[in-house]
Amino acid sequence: MGFVWHIAVRYFRSTRADAHIRALSTLTAGGLAVGTAALVLALAALAGFQNLLLEDLARHTPALQIELGGGSVPGSALQGAATTDPVRGLAALAAATNGVAGVQELLYARGWLADGDRPIAVEVLGYEKTPPPWIPVQGEATPGLIVPVSVALRMGLAVGDMVRVVSPRPGLTPVGHQPRTRMLPIDLIYMSDRAEDTDDPVLVPLEQASALFARGDRRLDLTLAPEADPEQVGDFLRQGIDPTVATVTTWRQANRALLFVLRLEKGLVFSAVALIVAVASFALLAALSMVLSSKRAEVGVLAAMGAPPARLQRVFLLLGALLSVGGAGFGGAAGAGLAAFLDRYRVISTPSDVYVVDYVPFLVRGTDVLVVLVVTVLFTAAAAVIGARKASLLHPVEAMRSART
Amino acid sequence: MIAVAGVTKAYQDGAVRRQVLRGVDLVVARGETAAVVGPSGSGKSTLLNILGALDVPDAGSVRVDGVDLTRSRPSALAGFRNRSLGFVFQFHQLLPDFTAIENVMMPGRIAGRPTSSLSAQALTLLDQVGLADRAGAFPQQLSGGERQRIAICRALVLEPAVLLADEPTGNLDSRSGEQVLELLDTLRRRRDTTMVLVTHNPEVAKRCGKVLRLDGGRLKALGE
Repeated sequence: MGFVWHIAVRYFRSTRADAHIRALSTLTAGGLAVGTAALVLALAALAGFQNLLLEDLARHTPALQIELGGGSVPGSALQGAATTDPVRGLAALAAATNGVAGVQELLYARGWLADGDRPIAVEVLGYEKTPPPWIPVQGEATPGLIVPVSVALRMGLAVGDMVRVVSPRPGLTPVGHQPRTRMLPIDLIYMSDRAEDTDDPVLVPLEQASALFARGDRRLDLTLAPEADPEQVGDFLRQGIDPTVATVTTWRQANRALLFVLRLEKGLVFSAVALIVAVASFALLAALSMVLSSKRAEVGVLAAMGAPPARLQRVFLLLGALLSVGGAGFGGAAGAGLAAFLDRYRVISTPSDVYVVDYVPFLVRGTDVLVVLVVTVLFTAAAAVIGARKASLLHPVEAMRSART
Repeated sequence: MIAVAGVTKAYQDGAVRRQVLRGVDLVVARGETAAVVGPSGSGKSTLLNILGALDVPDAGSVRVDGVDLTRSRPSALAGFRNRSLGFVFQFHQLLPDFTAIENVMMPGRIAGRPTSSLSAQALTLLDQVGLADRAGAFPQQLSGGERQRIAICRALVLEPAVLLADEPTGNLDSRSGEQVLELLDTLRRRRDTTMVLVTHNPEVAKRCGKVLRLDGGRLKALGE
């Protein structure tokens, strides 16, 4: 055991002898344990909720979207795909891209549903093949409408009823320009799993929707192979598509604001809870100062015997580490263990009609625990450096004299 | 050897500047013992601190064992203190958290010496001062005389060229004091160590080869 370890370990043991130093060192270890445990728990709770949210988001958001402007897409938009129908060309280009598992064309528009004389404004979503994954309806496309329960209730509709879909796009008739309309049956009524269901769309087969709303916002939703990276596939597609006509968006870009809020929330919670660790670090500084005060003469003797200031500084840095590592380590382990327990046995329940889950989920991530420990080390190291610097600045003669006065 | 020339030292005491040393000259040959006597506050300890590289003079030069202490960097001085100097402090200044043998070994630990050989050396020294059986005792379990003998062992464990002792018998009864002086004399003869002792005690001074009196900041030889 070298000089620095030898002295630091002995001083660490001696902290048990003095009541004040013992109280302060216990406070330091306890504060760091509480702080790190609270940080790990808070991050685990946030990670648990955010993980559920992101899983939900991933279910409801395509990995990649190609958003098209309204109307026709000029052929020049496709820098490689030769086709007479530019939208189909984009879809073909996307489908041929490595990593893309499926392409679905969607059309968004505003229109009305009319049952007799009671038209109401609705969002219309034209789809092909199967309803998009965020609409809780299983199966293939139906020839009729798929209506959200909110709209069905307002209009008093049931499955099998015929309802008129009205488009603001006019059509020329013998009596002049008239809105385009089409009578379609209601095939399904779905209950949205979103908290706000006011904008849930009415699903219309793409062929019908295109005929009614030719200038709606059109979009291609891309499903990727499990191993494909949305960013890489997105970058590849952007190289082949004119950005003034169509834009390629990954699910992360589409949810940029939400992801930013999640990161911000995590950062703010982390900062607030980290204050406990900061306060514990002040206690560490106080404990080190008290140890130094009680060992002042001894430090002076060590300096007189030739211990260089840098090594005396290291003694107190190591002492600071010894005083804090137990608390931080115990707190980290206790926080992680408690989080795992709370998640495993779903101890904390939440009202399921308010939240997406009926318990508080916890997810302990190794990176989060590592960040907590790094932050704890930084705080305590800062406190220890201040305390240790005091030790290195002691003048041996003054220090030894202080013991006699 | 020790060679001091024209050393001055003053302290600022509030608004008053106290001149403690006024052009001190001193030469102590290798293996020689010099006693510095003088009234309290005459600057004896200050002179000893300057000789021990614990304090720096305002002016003058100090050479100890071939090293100019006034021109060395603090880190170099720390190494020099560890390597070449042994200190015996007035109040023994043992480290209370360490046993007697650990206290004796401490300069060697600072120097990075291997523990096994250091331990053997410390035990030999403790045996020479009759304290081998007290090696595992903590300072608070030892008498004043035992503590001072351990402090001397600590000062000598690295066989320094120069030993500086500040009132080494100041807090001891006459019997313990005599033991300590005998020990210092024996060790000096055995190792040819240069010694400077600060003392109030004329009996202690008499046993030294050279006696110097510090008064009014000036050093005067009283006899050899």
